[in-house]
Amino acid sequence: MFTSNRFLTFVRNDKFIYGWMKVFKSVLTLFLLIALIFAFNTQFGSVPPLGKFFDPQAGFWANAETSVPESEELELEGFDGNASVYFDDRRVPHIFADNEYDLYYAQGYVVARDRLFQLELQTLDAAGRLAEKIGDRALERDRTTRRRGMPYGAEKALEMMKADPKTWEIVNAYADGVNTYISSLDSEDLPLEYKILDFEPEEWTPIKTAHLLKNMTRTLAGGNSDDATSNTIAYFGEEFIEKFFETKPALNDPIIPPSREWDFDAMPVQAPDTLYKPASAVELGEYERPEGIGSNNWAVSGSKTKSGYPILANDPHLTLTLPSIWYEVQLHAPGINSYGVSLQGTPGIVIGFNENVAWGVTNVGSDVMDWYEIKFKDDSQNEYWHDGEWKPTTMRVEEIKVKGEETVLDTVIYTHHGPVTKAESKLDEEREPAYHALRWIAHEASNDIRTFYGLNRAGNYDDYVEALSYYVAPAQNFVFASNEGDIALWVNGKLPNKWKHQGRTVSDGTDPLYDWQGWIPFEHNPHVKNPEREFVSSANQESAAPDYPYYLDDDFAPFERGRRINERLAEMNDITAKDMQELQMDDFSHYAKTLLPSLLEWVTTDSLVENGDEILELMKDWNYYMEAEEIAPSFFRHWSGNFYRAVLYDEFGTTDVSLRLPSRDRFVEIVKSEPNFEFIDNVETEETETRAQIATASFNETVTELTNYLGEFGDDWKWGYFIENDVDHLASIPGLGRQNLFSSGSGEAVNATRGQHGPSWRMVVEVGPEVKGYGVYPGGASGNPGSPNYDSMIEPWRTGNLFELKFMKEEPSEYLYKLEFR
Amino acid sequence: MILLLLLIITGYLINLVLPWWGIAITGLVLGFQMKPKSGKAFGIGFLALFLLWGGQALYTHLVNDGILSTRIAEMLGVGSPLLVVLITGVLGGLISGLAVLSGSLLTNKDK
Repeated sequence: MFTSNRFLTFVRNDKFIYGWMKVFKSVLTLFLLIALIFAFNTQFGSVPPLGKFFDPQAGFWANAETSVPESEELELEGFDGNASVYFDDRRVPHIFADNEYDLYYAQGYVVARDRLFQLELQTLDAAGRLAEKIGDRALERDRTTRRRGMPYGAEKALEMMKADPKTWEIVNAYADGVNTYISSLDSEDLPLEYKILDFEPEEWTPIKTAHLLKNMTRTLAGGNSDDATSNTIAYFGEEFIEKFFETKPALNDPIIPPSREWDFDAMPVQAPDTLYKPASAVELGEYERPEGIGSNNWAVSGSKTKSGYPILANDPHLTLTLPSIWYEVQLHAPGINSYGVSLQGTPGIVIGFNENVAWGVTNVGSDVMDWYEIKFKDDSQNEYWHDGEWKPTTMRVEEIKVKGEETVLDTVIYTHHGPVTKAESKLDEEREPAYHALRWIAHEASNDIRTFYGLNRAGNYDDYVEALSYYVAPAQNFVFASNEGDIALWVNGKLPNKWKHQGRTVSDGTDPLYDWQGWIPFEHNPHVKNPEREFVSSANQESAAPDYPYYLDDDFAPFERGRRINERLAEMNDITAKDMQELQMDDFSHYAKTLLPSLLEWVTTDSLVENGDEILELMKDWNYYMEAEEIAPSFFRHWSGNFYRAVLYDEFGTTDVSLRLPSRDRFVEIVKSEPNFEFIDNVETEETETRAQIATASFNETVTELTNYLGEFGDDWKWGYFIENDVDHLASIPGLGRQNLFSSGSGEAVNATRGQHGPSWRMVVEVGPEVKGYGVYPGGASGNPGSPNYDSMIEPWRTGNLFELKFMKEEPSEYLYKLEFR
Repeated sequence: MILLLLLIITGYLINLVLPWWGIAITGLVLGFQMKPKSGKAFGIGFLALFLLWGGQALYTHLVNDGILSTRIAEMLGVGSPLLVVLITGVLGGLISGLAVLSGSLLTNKDK
């Protein structure tokens, strides 16, 4: 193979050399073989070990599902209970157990069986331990996770969970179930992603449950714009802030109806005389609030429904991934029969219903994350100035293991506020770096599982309120309906009692008046039960009207979704579950309705580019519904964006510091009512522009850009394409996601589907003597990309077809397959 | 022909108990025992595992409706799931061919 014939003829003349060559040749091929085996068994960068990976027996081929899983009876060592898990036609597990330990043990086991990689990856990420498994490409992410105090918060939560015997029991039962599954695995049984990334699952411990819950706080309450607000005040002045951030649009419709009267006095809180001015132009960008993660929920009372019983709906909007963040499950044991979706890593059901009640959540945009500028005594950072004295700091050494490399030690300084981050100036290299401590709700001890434990078993309104009293973070709007006919909504979580506007700017770390001085008592959290309007709803907008006596934040979601829901619910009667499903799919855009008529009025028709007249007509005929088949939504989305940027970005671009951009609803209101609003003028030109000029120029720019991006004006411009709705794999592994789903919806519509984000679970529940639930999420029960069940619900989700949920009262006789634990 | 069949059978069996590189062991042993000519050794070794691994992969691909192989093809950027099947066969073939050749070279008498 390796030697040419001529060479062979030459050496054959010499027996000695030939003999030597033969040894050489066999050693060489053997060496080559060993080298190849070694190479095919090793991961290079993101290329999996080829031999191991392609091995048809134990490599990725073993993950290709070739038949429906078979029923199994599992004789488990150390498990002396009794539980049966029945999988229905969508492979949703229905767990029937004799007691709570067995119930949560079985839940841990089946979650691990269907979603092991997700279960582990999410908690590794939350613990800042990704690099340990996948190498130094995750090191910076881990460092940031550690520096914002995620593991620190999880450790505190663990202590509180330990102190509650009930929580501790179920968290450990869940862990035992997960570990039983993990220890049953051979290398060929490992989920596909472990084979691609080349690592193995580790033992599950209760702190991972704490990590997962802190991760939800990071996702939903892990951002602020403190530095941007400070900068904006310094740069554009108080008046700008007042105009754009303190004044709410006239169409704003808070979650708790303004008719609600508050019959308590707020707990006192002391504010400083003047607002602290931090050193400007700091860089805290990575903590900025991610835009537009929101959700809807509502409940209508029986007087508005056909059945005479309340109906509840919920669709939490999150980043959409495969496998889906949610997993449907039914939990049945003495004292509990509950159905809904769980988060992988926590025992129990997060959003769902039981025989008597239903509940759901949306995020509360309250400000629970603040930066404090810190004054250290000297470079040792051993002491910091607070309340008129030098106080000692503490040190926490974060040990970040890195696969294939040396462990990184990162020392983080803690003050009583929280962990300290160093911020270099973006503008002035000479300036001394500033130090900022982070005060964040995720650093609080918490036992949020207890809330879900209670909700899963709640029989009425009082049980629901009792369950909510345990809840810390991330604050949620908990909607509720019961078969006793009650509907309710609590804006709930542990909320700091702040003076007005406290913490929306960077705070003074030396002055105790800037500390979180206390908490809003639980019973003072904004809430309403059975309001006169006969429905409750939330869509992340402002929690309560201005007469609510506590300050929560000045930054909530725009009014659009909330207003639309309330308008529709107010005018609907004889409501059915189907009507509620249709409302979840409502694509109406209040943004377009408030802005587009004005844009069309301003645009000068005699200076339009090619196709301009036709497009203009299209826009005039449009009904403001963000539907996939329409072209107008694409044009509106891009035109309104260009217009917004043309008005604001010239002024905002005159500095490099991060500034806070106005929300689009307030922007529309100002630009419509103030023809001479000074930002309309382009500061980069001599002349003074008008709205007409900006509207026309941005119209033409939009035509050109869409043509470049989507091709000639025509069907390729349909919103369903332009929305670019992707559901990527959790770890962004190519090929394991679903791209370019032709979808209706928009961030400002009730159906808040948009590129990579959207309704992660749609649920409608009609309570009553026989509770009926409907639901769908973009994914499938299985986390295995080699199973048809991995993404089988994407299409019904895209088209808004909810499945009737099989809520079983007793063990079923028909099922796809079952697992028995003995 | 016998060597080919033996390679396929032992390759399949050893893979049930040992990791993927088990096929190198059976290749080495059979190459050493059966003493194929060095030119043939590689070819037969390659063909055996190409057929075994490629066949196993093809079967899985078909029964699975190509769900996974299509995803892996996209992940690797190779375009077609059938290429993923082919790569599987070639990888097995390469290891096996080299193993049988190495085994045969350890014994080959002068000709």
